[in-house]
Amino acid sequence: MQFFLEVLIGGLLSGVMYSLVALGYVMIYKSSGVFNFAQGAMVFLAAATVVGFQAYGVPFVVAVLLAMAVMVVFAFATERFMLRKLVNQHEITLFMATIGLTFFVEGLTQLVWGTEVRKLELGIADEPVPWIMDNLGLLVSSFDIVAAVVAAGLIALLALFFAVTKVGRALRAVADDHEAAQSIGIPLNYVWGVVWSVSGFIALVAGLMWGARNGVQFSLVFVALKALPVLILGGFTSVPGVIVGGLVIGASEKLAEVYLGPLVGGGIEGWFPYVLALTILLVRPEGLFGEKIIRRI
Amino acid sequence: MFYREAGQFKTSYVADGQIFPIRQDRYAVALLLAVAFVVVPFTATQYMFSAILIPFLIFSLAALGLNILTGYAGQVSLGSAAFMAVGAFATYNFVLRVPGMPFLGAVALGGLCAAAVGVFFGLPSLRIRGFYLAVATLAAQFFVLWLLTKVPWFTNNSSSGVITAQQISILGMTFDSPVEKYLLTLAIVAVMALAAKNMVRSNTGRCWMAIRDMDVAAEVIGIRPMHTKLMAFAVSSFYCGVAGALYAYCYLGTVEPEAYNLDLSFRILFMIIIGGVGSILGSFLGAGFIILLPIALSLLFHALAPESVPASAKSNLELMIFGGLIIFFLIVEPHGLARLWQIGKEKLRLWPFPH
Amino acid sequence: MSKRAIGEVVLKVEKVSLSFGGVKALRDVSFDVRQHEIRAIIGPNGAGKSSMLNVINGVYHPQEGTVAFRGKVRREVDTHDAAASGIARTFQNIALFKGMSVLDNIMTGRNLKMRSNIFLEALWLGPARRQEIENRRKVEEVIDFLGLQAVRKTPVGRLPYGLQKRVELGRALAAEPLMLLLDEPMAGMNLEEKEDMSRFILDVNDQYGTTIVLIEHDMGVVMDLSDRVVVLDYGQKIGDGTPDEIRSNQAVIDAYLGVAH
Repeated sequence: MQFFLEVLIGGLLSGVMYSLVALGYVMIYKSSGVFNFAQGAMVFLAAATVVGFQAYGVPFVVAVLLAMAVMVVFAFATERFMLRKLVNQHEITLFMATIGLTFFVEGLTQLVWGTEVRKLELGIADEPVPWIMDNLGLLVSSFDIVAAVVAAGLIALLALFFAVTKVGRALRAVADDHEAAQSIGIPLNYVWGVVWSVSGFIALVAGLMWGARNGVQFSLVFVALKALPVLILGGFTSVPGVIVGGLVIGASEKLAEVYLGPLVGGGIEGWFPYVLALTILLVRPEGLFGEKIIRRI
Repeated sequence: MFYREAGQFKTSYVADGQIFPIRQDRYAVALLLAVAFVVVPFTATQYMFSAILIPFLIFSLAALGLNILTGYAGQVSLGSAAFMAVGAFATYNFVLRVPGMPFLGAVALGGLCAAAVGVFFGLPSLRIRGFYLAVATLAAQFFVLWLLTKVPWFTNNSSSGVITAQQISILGMTFDSPVEKYLLTLAIVAVMALAAKNMVRSNTGRCWMAIRDMDVAAEVIGIRPMHTKLMAFAVSSFYCGVAGALYAYCYLGTVEPEAYNLDLSFRILFMIIIGGVGSILGSFLGAGFIILLPIALSLLFHALAPESVPASAKSNLELMIFGGLIIFFLIVEPHGLARLWQIGKEKLRLWPFPH
Repeated sequence: MSKRAIGEVVLKVEKVSLSFGGVKALRDVSFDVRQHEIRAIIGPNGAGKSSMLNVINGVYHPQEGTVAFRGKVRREVDTHDAAASGIARTFQNIALFKGMSVLDNIMTGRNLKMRSNIFLEALWLGPARRQEIENRRKVEEVIDFLGLQAVRKTPVGRLPYGLQKRVELGRALAAEPLMLLLDEPMAGMNLEEKEDMSRFILDVNDQYGTTIVLIEHDMGVVMDLSDRVVVLDYGQKIGDGTPDEIRSNQAVIDAYLGVAH
């Protein structure tokens, strides 16, 4: 039982980390209707920039600030050279453009910062919290808990933002129809720059968390791929959905690996979340929390 | 003034329905095929066969497959490499375990296995669309590869997971050298490309395009979405399966799961984006482009800065240029090289007049 | 007015009620359509006219009531069955396949008349070729009928609105339907285009005997073309009869003038 709880909690906590990455997708999709496949590459870029500057002796906080600046520049550049030219194009076209963007960013990041794996120190030990170990008899990493708290905080902030603020509403209008939003005076270009910057910030936070856990390397890009089943479960436009989706994917992935894995030779983690998401989609084609798409004819 | 249709009137529907209605086009294609089959085998170098021509043909075939599914039928798929893998492994196992199995038969059966797997993973498309479907096809990609790696039967219990492809033997002739493999691949691809062209301009092809353009309206005029979509998955996977088998036997020389990874799926997707979605010609143009780009870049670097560019920088720059080109094409000409080709031909029809 | 003799009842809509969530689109609507006649459905915007057509050919399934076409009574019509039993339609917002040419679009209308065998098609062997040519002949008749020869190879996305509407009609006609449902076929057209479209509708009814159910807002067109009219308002039927009867029906006049009720 104890082991089960540990696996479960470990899964839930890593699920929160997935939610963190998925949040970046939701942010952009909710505000501009674009499915940004490059989110993973952005996580990689942000993390690599931080450790890259650190390697030159730049102190941690400054490196983070510089990385944030880089993400803002990236956001506005993407808007200027890519998004602006694809206003109101078909969703799939924009999606494919972000795939192209992914490759571009991957290449750029590795070109500038090199390809070695680097360690990212956040000062949070990946050790069991003594209090929990003593009182509940479970091994729960303090790192996981901090990550969960950070992610939860960000999520709450963003959920509030979209629901309550004027800007949030404007962003939702943009997501619905670019040209219509433009025609009522929403400054699309600036809005997109801001949105992608915020997403860049989320990517930075995710990059710091994941980078500290796994080391900063190319494989960070694939973390973002794992966020896709999260989005499917949670729906692409729902912030609470992202939380639930992340928890479910994280938990089920770990549990499946531990309990089902040995039966079939292991390695289930690679595809289990996708198959799970697929199964959910068969029952609810818009995801668990997604908006039902009504097509008029 | 060379490319004029004056005097070429179609007086029957049969004539109007030809693949190449303009006489000059027919001559050009005949010439191209003649060169490909007769001239190239004697003039091209080993390198050209192994590094350019054979992969070009194989990727064109895979791109054709994906184009049928995504370009014509509108079902986005990120799992084409998985179907290629099924084709390759199935072919290997048929040749291995069925005594006296002719190679072409094994390839065809391999393609059919891939088609069956394709139909299975295509079932979700009846409920799911757009990029939800794309993510679902990722499930196919990851799961199939895991299965092929984990289940020892597929790899004939090989300990390393890498198996050497058997020798190709058809009617007593062996196909060992690059020239022979090239001719075999060329023949298969030519026949399948013709078949693809026939399919897309027939009723099935129209049904695919109808589902792509407006599936609710298609249903209302009596097209069955299930049959149409599953047929698209089946045909597309068949093509990818055959391409996968050729990839193993005529290019790599080995049959291994890792060769059919997510990266390959993306490359094939890029081929059809750049080449032109929904175009047979586009599949070839896109494949050619993606094959030639790294070589062109290498030559460029060699010319500009022979010593100083390390290999890793080159591959990163390649990534950046790939990505940049995708974005460029989507902005400038979303219908890809095939549309540019069409525009070029239209200009040629008028040449030397401007309009 | 149809020049043909009006026949038996071919479509019977019985007590159909349709709601979307809390919104009642249709309330207890009943009417019939006779063979060879031209029946108009009119009413203010939002009255439920398009929903009614959608129920008839199975795009929407009503919560109550039945639709009987050629004797087969159904609550939930299957769109494929509807098409197969001889119902074809056009849509309010053109539902053409933008990526295909005019010819190909109209050829899709022949889909149910063609047997599709992927192997024969891939090899372009005998039966597949012959079928394609035969159906091409039929489609060319439709193209002749509608005067679309000049644009047959043009992708429909590039055509002006009026021509697109004509192509959509062509696609419906290619299916050789028994009953044609037309959803605002003249929306957005100028006088000349409306006259052309009216001519086509009358010719179809005259030459092929096709029963026509059409939704239209232009009263002049409705009065000239139709044999009988159904009037809907807020999802309910408020009038059913010949154009003259409808013209003098107080409830109909009130609905259009917006008298509070």
